[in-house]
Amino acid sequence: MPKLTIDGKEIEVPAGTNLIEAARQAGVEIPHYCYHPGLSIAGQCRLCMVDIEKTPRPTIACNAQAADGMVVWTETDRVKETRRSVMEFHLINHPLDCPVCDQAGECWLQIYYMRHGLYEPRMTDEKVHKPKAVPLGPHVMLDAERCILCSRCVRFCDEITRTGELGIMNRGDHSEIGLFPGRELANRYSANVVDICPVGALTDRDFRFQVRVWYLDSTKSICPGCARGCNIEVHTNRRRPHHAEGRRVARLKPRYNADVNRWWICDAGRYGYGAVDDKSRLRAPSRREGEAVADATWEEALAAVAGTLGRLEPDEVGVIASPRMANEDLFALRRVLERRGIRRVGFRVPPREPGDEDAFLIRADKSPNALGAALLGLDGDVAAVLAAARARQVKCLWIFDHDLLAAGWDEAEVDRALRAAETVIFTGANANATSERAHWVLPAAAWVEREGTWTNCEGRVQRFRQALEPLGQALPTSDILGRVLAALGVAAVPPRAERWFRDLAAAVPAFAGLSYPSIGDAGQPAARGAA
Amino acid sequence: MRTVQFPPEQLAEVRRLQALYPDRRGALLPVLHMAQDAFGWVSLEVEEYVAGLFDLSPAHVHEVVTFYTLYFRQPKGRHVVSVCHNLSCHLAGAKTVLDQLRTRLGIEVGETTPDGRVTLLAVECLCACERAPMMQVDDRYELDLTPEKVDRILEGLR
Amino acid sequence: MTGERILMRNFDRPDSHSLAVYRETGGYTAWEKAQGMEPAAITEEVKASNLRGLGGAGFPTGTKWSFIPKGHTGPVYLVINADEGEPGTFKDRYLLERDPHALIEGMLIAARAIRSATGFVYVRGEYVEPWRRFGAAVREAYEAGYLGQGFDVVVHRGAGAYICGEETGLISSLEGKKGWPKVKPPFPAVRGAFGMPTIVNNVETISHVPHIVNRGGAWFASLGTRTQGGTRMFSVSGRVARPGVYEASVAITLRQLIYDLAGGVTGNGRLKGVVPGGSSAPILRADEIDVPMDVDGLRNAGTMAGSAGVVVMDETVSIPEALMVVARFYAHESCGQCTPCRESTGWIYRMVHRIVEGHGRKEDLDTILDVARRGAGTTICAFYDGAVGPYISYIEKFRDEFEELIDGAGTRAVATPAPAAG
Repeated sequence: MPKLTIDGKEIEVPAGTNLIEAARQAGVEIPHYCYHPGLSIAGQCRLCMVDIEKTPRPTIACNAQAADGMVVWTETDRVKETRRSVMEFHLINHPLDCPVCDQAGECWLQIYYMRHGLYEPRMTDEKVHKPKAVPLGPHVMLDAERCILCSRCVRFCDEITRTGELGIMNRGDHSEIGLFPGRELANRYSANVVDICPVGALTDRDFRFQVRVWYLDSTKSICPGCARGCNIEVHTNRRRPHHAEGRRVARLKPRYNADVNRWWICDAGRYGYGAVDDKSRLRAPSRREGEAVADATWEEALAAVAGTLGRLEPDEVGVIASPRMANEDLFALRRVLERRGIRRVGFRVPPREPGDEDAFLIRADKSPNALGAALLGLDGDVAAVLAAARARQVKCLWIFDHDLLAAGWDEAEVDRALRAAETVIFTGANANATSERAHWVLPAAAWVEREGTWTNCEGRVQRFRQALEPLGQALPTSDILGRVLAALGVAAVPPRAERWFRDLAAAVPAFAGLSYPSIGDAGQPAARGAA
Repeated sequence: MRTVQFPPEQLAEVRRLQALYPDRRGALLPVLHMAQDAFGWVSLEVEEYVAGLFDLSPAHVHEVVTFYTLYFRQPKGRHVVSVCHNLSCHLAGAKTVLDQLRTRLGIEVGETTPDGRVTLLAVECLCACERAPMMQVDDRYELDLTPEKVDRILEGLR
Repeated sequence: MTGERILMRNFDRPDSHSLAVYRETGGYTAWEKAQGMEPAAITEEVKASNLRGLGGAGFPTGTKWSFIPKGHTGPVYLVINADEGEPGTFKDRYLLERDPHALIEGMLIAARAIRSATGFVYVRGEYVEPWRRFGAAVREAYEAGYLGQGFDVVVHRGAGAYICGEETGLISSLEGKKGWPKVKPPFPAVRGAFGMPTIVNNVETISHVPHIVNRGGAWFASLGTRTQGGTRMFSVSGRVARPGVYEASVAITLRQLIYDLAGGVTGNGRLKGVVPGGSSAPILRADEIDVPMDVDGLRNAGTMAGSAGVVVMDETVSIPEALMVVARFYAHESCGQCTPCRESTGWIYRMVHRIVEGHGRKEDLDTILDVARRGAGTTICAFYDGAVGPYISYIEKFRDEFEELIDGAGTRAVATPAPAAG
């Protein structure tokens, strides 16, 4: 392992480490554009120059491998002057779009100019003009004037998605990022180029002109779009509700996880937050009698649910849990079932359209916690539950989250089951055709409105955290179930998710030894063999 | 409407060229020359066709076609006249040659005569500086240009 | 003065390009001799000759050959740079048209030295007739059994980009991509064309190799200076009486070249400036021409030998106009890959153009100089340094001409006159 000195600090790094990564280890951040740890080396931007002893000129750090005995200086006068020069070169033809550019506030031309530029501009000739506001595909907008031609987007499409849609056409200062004329940037990971674009050349069409980034808060979370569990950040706008028509979730961004998704996320996951602020959100408990639906209080609703569970025989209750529920929710449900001896429970509901998957991140299972639900012992036969309802053996159906009428079963059969049950209880965040048939609707907090854990397809238990307050009177599902337990006479459990997880880890062998601190931000594998 | 496709003998030549290189992509520039000769100019359709012959994304073929100056992306005249206007030719009067050609042909640099006879270009150093001013007409160099010689050459272009 | 003509000795023979004529004059005897030599011995001979690259960089050829990693067992490629494009240079065109077999024989010997089985000759796209001529010679060499017996030659035609004369830009183009130079390290000898060790040499450089093998490295070294051996072909053009290609010892001075070989200065007969090594070489004033034309001699004089493209300017030449033409060239040919070159070649051309058109501003000259100095040495390849050569030297050495235009003396600087008839 080479030992080298960076800015006077001696460090040891694995062989083959480039100087940008080596410097990071030494706590030094070398400014750069074209370098990206997930892509090949380009060496084009020329910003990452450093002084290496015994080399006559500054060298780019991205292409320099750490060598034993190397002495590197990142803040010499010469390096600073070179950075300032390179910043000027980058800005020669760059349009002054900041007031109308979405990147403002997270733009690396702005940031590095303030850190390393601060010169008097002297370019007063006409700048080169290129196409602006060009939609490249459904999700990505190009402004070719703003582009600094770092080629990250080209390398992403070549090396990560291997779809090769983007290229740099022409040459000299007429070079331009572009597609083959007439084609689209429509691969399933297209919007990742927006993340890696250091400037406002590639921007998100969904986010365009919605809200300034400095009004956003960021919360670490996990994408619920499929069983991969890509790590994300949820960016919320809480301070400017008059922007973006009051949409609280402004955007999702991928969060680096070396073992799950690295730097990337698929487009479906990135844009899959629409349900959170949708009109269909359930905000209050409600009760249906005949055709009449009226709001109810939590007291009333919980009493009714506990009452029904207490009144009926265990086998007269059928529970259809959801693989979208958190581990904490599922464990709380298990406690409720154990309290009443209820055995008819399952969570697998086939989708109408089978999910697709690919060789990269996308999984066919479009729920985040099927494995967690299975490890928690809730993997019963849902079709049998519905059949029992049709046969009037099951008198109460408690459905979590699913729209059974839009699932992969015969709609008429499902309809008969719902009609046959005397009591249908629905717990979920969004209304749907099934919830409309429920006698009691308990509004659940959306995934961004509470914390919890999911277990991804590889058995990794990952934390998602609370980014927003629940809408209306919605409560986290584990909290709802805790209150049902209390109504059933079990000592009240404090509603905090972490408490549920501690109990879960103590009770379920697959989760033994796991805790919120040990799961941290990167997740932790469950012991699957011990299910 | 003609489909862009090499006839069998030319396709065989493409495969032969591809086999000369350790990575067949090395044959891309020669094959684009072939395509330009066969189809007259390099249209987007030609680019897509050639991309298919190499299993390359069309965007990467488009990069190559837009980078180099010898691939015509629009129909060109039956004859291409490229006048060098770099240093030694400038010193020897390239501007005068260009002015004469603009007047005789009635077009600007970069344009093609309406009858499709001549495309006029101004180009960088063709490396015939000792015989400046000079121009390239189709494949050949025309050197030591004088106004009379330029007129004679134009007359010979049908 | 010129001494013995080596490279140009057959140029005036009828059919000098044919195999028959080449053999008549001793062609392919060096290859025969080389086949009895160890590869390392060939390289040693070339090292002893002090042969230096004649395409522009002037790097010692034998040393370059020795950079191939020892113990490499895969393919090694020999690539000939026939992408001649440096303004003011035309020597390789002559070699390809008039003595193509010299290059082929040189390639055979070089390939043996570096253990290469495949050679690529990259001919610039505009050189259609030289390409055909050289291709015919290659076919002759195959028919005669020189090629195809352990060494194959692929002739590859470019498509119009000066940057493909940069060795790694050439490699990228040979690989079927844009001519983008590659970030170094790794260097081509370690990892070049198609990922394999590659030696890129200029046409003229390799054409010397048969003579070095036949007559010895020491002989070749003795023809030149202490640090560069042999002769080279000087391309002389511009305001001289006899523009053309002249072969002479690299020790010849610029004054001798212009006045003794090329017939002296035309225009108004008085020399103003000379570009000694292709447009990328800093310009020399009339009082700076007593300088030997070898690599170190010209470097010590603050310029470079480059491609030995000598462009002579008399007093009637407008230096600002000349700079505009040259700046337009660099802006047009910048490949666009790295930021300093891509953005500033265009900007500097726009500024020089503005000055020549009479709209220059006081700060422009110092801006151009400062921008050029800041960019020099920061780019992926030496193209930008080649642009900086004229940007800085034309303005520093002829500043008053630029300032006259900027001060708006009412009249433009003495315009470059149209050529005399005939």
